[in-house]
Amino acid sequence: MSRRNCPSCGARYGYELERCTFCAAPLVETESTSGTAMAVTEVSVPSVGHEDTPYWCALLQTDDGGSAIVKLGHPVEVGQRVTMGITDDAERITVGVLGTGIMGKGLVELLLGSGNDVVWIARSQSSLDTARIKLSERLARVMDSDELDERLGHLDAGTDMAALGRCDLVIEAIVEELEPKKEWLRAAESSMRPDAVLATNTSGLPLDELAEVLEHPGRFGCLHFFNPATRMRLVEVSVPEQTDAQTLETLTAFSRALGKVPVTVRSRPAFVVNRVLMPLINEAVRSLEEEAATAEQIDEAVRLGLNHPMGPLELADLIGLDVIVDIMDNLVERTADSTYAPRPMLRELVAQGHLGRKTHRGFYDHSAPPGAVT
Amino acid sequence: MPQGYVVGVGKTRFGPTSKSLPMLAQEALIAALEDAGLTIGDIDAFIVANYLGGPNEGRLHLNSVVAGLLPGVNLPGWRVEAACASGGVAVHQALLSLSRYENVLVLGVERMSGIPGMLLTKNIGMAGDLDLDQGAGLNFPASYALVAQRHMQTYGTTTRDLELISLKNHENARRNPLAHFYHKSVVQADIDAGVTVASPLRLFDCCPVSDGAAAAVISRDSRDGRSIPVLGSGLSTDAISLTQRTVHTSFQAARDAAATAYAQADIVAADVDFAEVHDCFTIAEIVAMEDLGFCEPGAAVSLIRGGVTSRDGSLPVNASGGLKAGGHAIGATGVGQVYEVVRQLRGEAGDRQLARAEIGLTHNVGGVGGTCAIHVMGSAS
Repeated sequence: MSRRNCPSCGARYGYELERCTFCAAPLVETESTSGTAMAVTEVSVPSVGHEDTPYWCALLQTDDGGSAIVKLGHPVEVGQRVTMGITDDAERITVGVLGTGIMGKGLVELLLGSGNDVVWIARSQSSLDTARIKLSERLARVMDSDELDERLGHLDAGTDMAALGRCDLVIEAIVEELEPKKEWLRAAESSMRPDAVLATNTSGLPLDELAEVLEHPGRFGCLHFFNPATRMRLVEVSVPEQTDAQTLETLTAFSRALGKVPVTVRSRPAFVVNRVLMPLINEAVRSLEEEAATAEQIDEAVRLGLNHPMGPLELADLIGLDVIVDIMDNLVERTADSTYAPRPMLRELVAQGHLGRKTHRGFYDHSAPPGAVT
Repeated sequence: MPQGYVVGVGKTRFGPTSKSLPMLAQEALIAALEDAGLTIGDIDAFIVANYLGGPNEGRLHLNSVVAGLLPGVNLPGWRVEAACASGGVAVHQALLSLSRYENVLVLGVERMSGIPGMLLTKNIGMAGDLDLDQGAGLNFPASYALVAQRHMQTYGTTTRDLELISLKNHENARRNPLAHFYHKSVVQADIDAGVTVASPLRLFDCCPVSDGAAAAVISRDSRDGRSIPVLGSGLSTDAISLTQRTVHTSFQAARDAAATAYAQADIVAADVDFAEVHDCFTIAEIVAMEDLGFCEPGAAVSLIRGGVTSRDGSLPVNASGGLKAGGHAIGATGVGQVYEVVRQLRGEAGDRQLARAEIGLTHNVGGVGGTCAIHVMGSAS
């Protein structure tokens, strides 16, 4: 919060003005980062821009003699000392990202946009080069070229895990398979500082099993971001049984600092969101198989009837039908419940190579104007 | 020497409606002209008071919208916006404009129903500063919640005092057919069941958001025995954010506007028989009474506890139900207060007529004390 005081007549302004209205003297900027709470209210009514409630608004007497309103995620008492936000320096941490897929790219974009330093590790230089170009294009949509250069200056991309040594936190976002994840997590850990935290972006693989390969499972957990990472506000945070309480705290605080809403969930197959989503998609496919309606009609019915922003079949095309089949098969295996088994039509589309948007064909034809093909 | 006369008033019901903004405006306009015994040909200029037509409905340029209600008449007209004090400021402007115009129509109008709650809360929050308040999540109830917290710390005001105001104003609204909560009986159990909005304020500490319109014809001269003289008109402003002020339990703009209005009317606070004050939140009625000089700072609660401000007390406050239960159709509110005081001073208030109504006052606040317009009116005598 930046304010201006007049050194000549003492007038105080809440705006970034250059001169005093009364005596025309150049104003001096004051930047008070802490103060004492004079009054506090718990706000329970959400508004656009402040959707998550409750939150707390405190009227502070700042150390420079002014006052300020601060928004807090926790209650404070009147008379308590409060530091306004966190300064840029304190907020900026170094985060490692493993993988250059959709989630890897999305996370790097999110982290650079939030002012963090990022170490980006890829399997090969060629995949890194391709991903880097896409990343620059995406960032360039919301910033000018000077700002883009500045942000990219905070990115260190390469294929050598040794660079992870300067990270405070590392997020693994490689392919959703157990063995490759184990291998990468183990390799990452051996390059990391002993006090750094390691997280996987798995959408529901067993954390205890992943933790088995680590030397310090106490500093390991899961940050399950959703695609697109820059826009989706949820992070499912989960930790294996042997993780330190401090690690869970670090992961939730990190999510909040990115402007996300962490929901802590136990490590169960597919966590919560995908556990709920997969049967929904499967039943939509069953409706299509039973010719209850066309794909467009099913999606429209669910959009309007359940107030979902997207129908289940268009969402399935976005996620990728192969990914969905993998998650469903994994659910059957881990729960021993065959009701999770992917419907025949899903398997058939995957067998034909129709994986959704990424192959331009799934339940819909994405190469042409929208229209159902099955 | 009065500042001018209110020769006619009209008001729609305040509360949710499917009527459009032009329909509401027309209803109040026709009622005020009829009440004055005038036709539109007698009107020399008009002022439209409105706050959220732009953000809520994409409706701006409202003076021209109102001109559309008067095809071919083509009067001078303009719109005024000062958040929740838009109506009071428009009445003040009308009085000033009497040096040029003989009869001026003031028309306050607002539509808020049908707007998604989170958007409406943001829009109403525009009465606070963009950077200093809105960015920090300080919506409108939260602003007044901080005032309440400071008042409770400083003077020992309790949530029970806030409840007494809510109960009184809801009871009063049951006698006012144009009130938002005319049909709704609110008792202690309702208040107890109210959710917290911004602590310590709960649901029944907050006024509703209402649709509605109110109009008044303000004239240079008295027309008849029903013309009500405006004895004093005070307007003052203050920096928009609580962070730009040192006192948070009182509004300097209200104190200054009251001093001006009392001086013009040549009265003191004790001469006021009854008042319609800006109780957008229960705490605001307490602050209003203290700013108006009805008592010392911190002493309003003893008047409330003692029933002094009840309709049968010696200083009835918000006998209409106030904003709390009468409704808050933001741009119309300040004009609606004038409607109410005029009705009382004429002895035309029906079921809610007060026993003693010689000098009445309206107190209309924008934001959390950023603007205040105060009018003192007397009986026609």
